[in-house]
Amino acid sequence: MIGIFRSTILTKIAMALSGLIWIGFSIAHLSGHFLLFAGQEAYNAYGQGLKDLGPLLWLGRIIFIISFLLHSFSGILLLSRNKEARPVQYKAKKPIVSTPQSRMMALTGILLFTFMVYHLAHFTWGVVHAEYSHLTYTLSDGREVHDVYTMVIGSYQNVFVCLAYVLFMLGFGIHLSHAIASVVQTLGFNHPMYNSLVKKVANGLSTIIILGYISIPASVMLGVLKLTGGH
Amino acid sequence: MNLTLHIWRQENTTAEGRFSTYRVEEISPDMSFLEMLDVLNERLINKGEVPVEFEHDCREGICGTCSLMINGVPHGPEKGTTTCQLHMRKFKDGDEITIEPWRAKAFPVLKDLVVDRSAFDRIIQKGGYISANTGNAPDGNAIPIPKPDSDWAFEAAACIGCGACVAACKNASASLFVAAKVTHLGLLPQGQPERYLRVTAMVEQMDQEGFGSCTNTYDCEGACPKQISVRNIARMNRDYLKAKIMGN
Ligand code: FES
Repeated sequence: MIGIFRSTILTKIAMALSGLIWIGFSIAHLSGHFLLFAGQEAYNAYGQGLKDLGPLLWLGRIIFIISFLLHSFSGILLLSRNKEARPVQYKAKKPIVSTPQSRMMALTGILLFTFMVYHLAHFTWGVVHAEYSHLTYTLSDGREVHDVYTMVIGSYQNVFVCLAYVLFMLGFGIHLSHAIASVVQTLGFNHPMYNSLVKKVANGLSTIIILGYISIPASVMLGVLKLTGGH
Repeated sequence: MNLTLHIWRQENTTAEGRFSTYRVEEISPDMSFLEMLDVLNERLINKGEVPVEFEHDCREGICGTCSLMINGVPHGPEKGTTTCQLHMRKFKDGDEITIEPWRAKAFPVLKDLVVDRSAFDRIIQKGGYISANTGNAPDGNAIPIPKPDSDWAFEAAACIGCGACVAACKNASASLFVAAKVTHLGLLPQGQPERYLRVTAMVEQMDQEGFGSCTNTYDCEGACPKQISVRNIARMNRDYLKAKIMGN
């Protein structure tokens, strides 16, 4: 296992696979949260449903934590190696065909890490913007559950929270647009016949994911999603 | 045309380097970039100064010896061209040109614009060959090879080992060079017996030499005077992974 990190290619593959798990997570996460549009009852029931998974939820969490650790560890390892590989910088250096997003992966990666801490502190641990974090809601079957609907919508009614999320999501989009195409290359698929398709899918998928995520705070701002009375 | 050149001067590997500025006058647009530097050097020698050291050999774009970072681009502004085949008509009268050596830990500067690229030789020594003695060259079509494979192998074999890929890469990665060498033998029947040993040994040597890793930015392909495609890198990753899984 440790031997993997002695090889740059295997480290990259570890990076690609763990990143792939996170791409899958971001799609699943988004589709769950679209239930906000289905109303307070549906969304709160979904939130409770996740909790009811118990050990399964923890299995998922452990997979995500491991891929997070693997992804960041490999990233830091490769970054420090890559910095070392050019001790003296050029005075004049021009990018030739590389895209800005491909050169900013470390930067957007750090941004995403910051976002993750903030996001967990906000919605999972309930330590920032805590005013909506501890309300309860009674489901139609009479069960008393955590009112995650009010927590999400209430928080996004703050313009600054909204703005922070939108900015973070744009950073995520930049990361993702290079990441998806990059995974394909790193895992060894590159064929002139499919390259433009891969690029289109990568750009399309990242746009859809990002617009999907942004649509939630945006809908709150525009009043499409609003707080309902029933606690 | 008259030009201002900012050239990296460095006495030897351990000495500190710096940029020196030179004016060159009456340069013909039909000269090659290296001929322009020849003119500069002649004038420097006539004045009793130390000429600028740079590498060149064939001056025909086929040996890969010339190696200059010209205004931030390896081999200069003309796509798919080596420094020796770059002509001054690509520049304008009054231009300022910054000339630097390839920058990479694995390519230490020997003097001025000359770097030591023997790291590439050591990678080749690890497997960039076929060890079977096969006698005379066989007849052209004696060994059937699918046309797409022979085309691709030929494209990869066009690599002249100049190191522009390393120079252009923001990580100073040698992936494109190694991938081209791995591919050109790995696609042909003669290269099959050692295919997986070759990719493992060459990739491991590449890592040992202190080159960076590939982050798929593809400036290497953009800088390559032979326009070798990054699809070779994907192929190398694939072969390397296969080799590792099979325990080579
Ligand atoms: S001198 Fe041989 S390729 Fe330029």
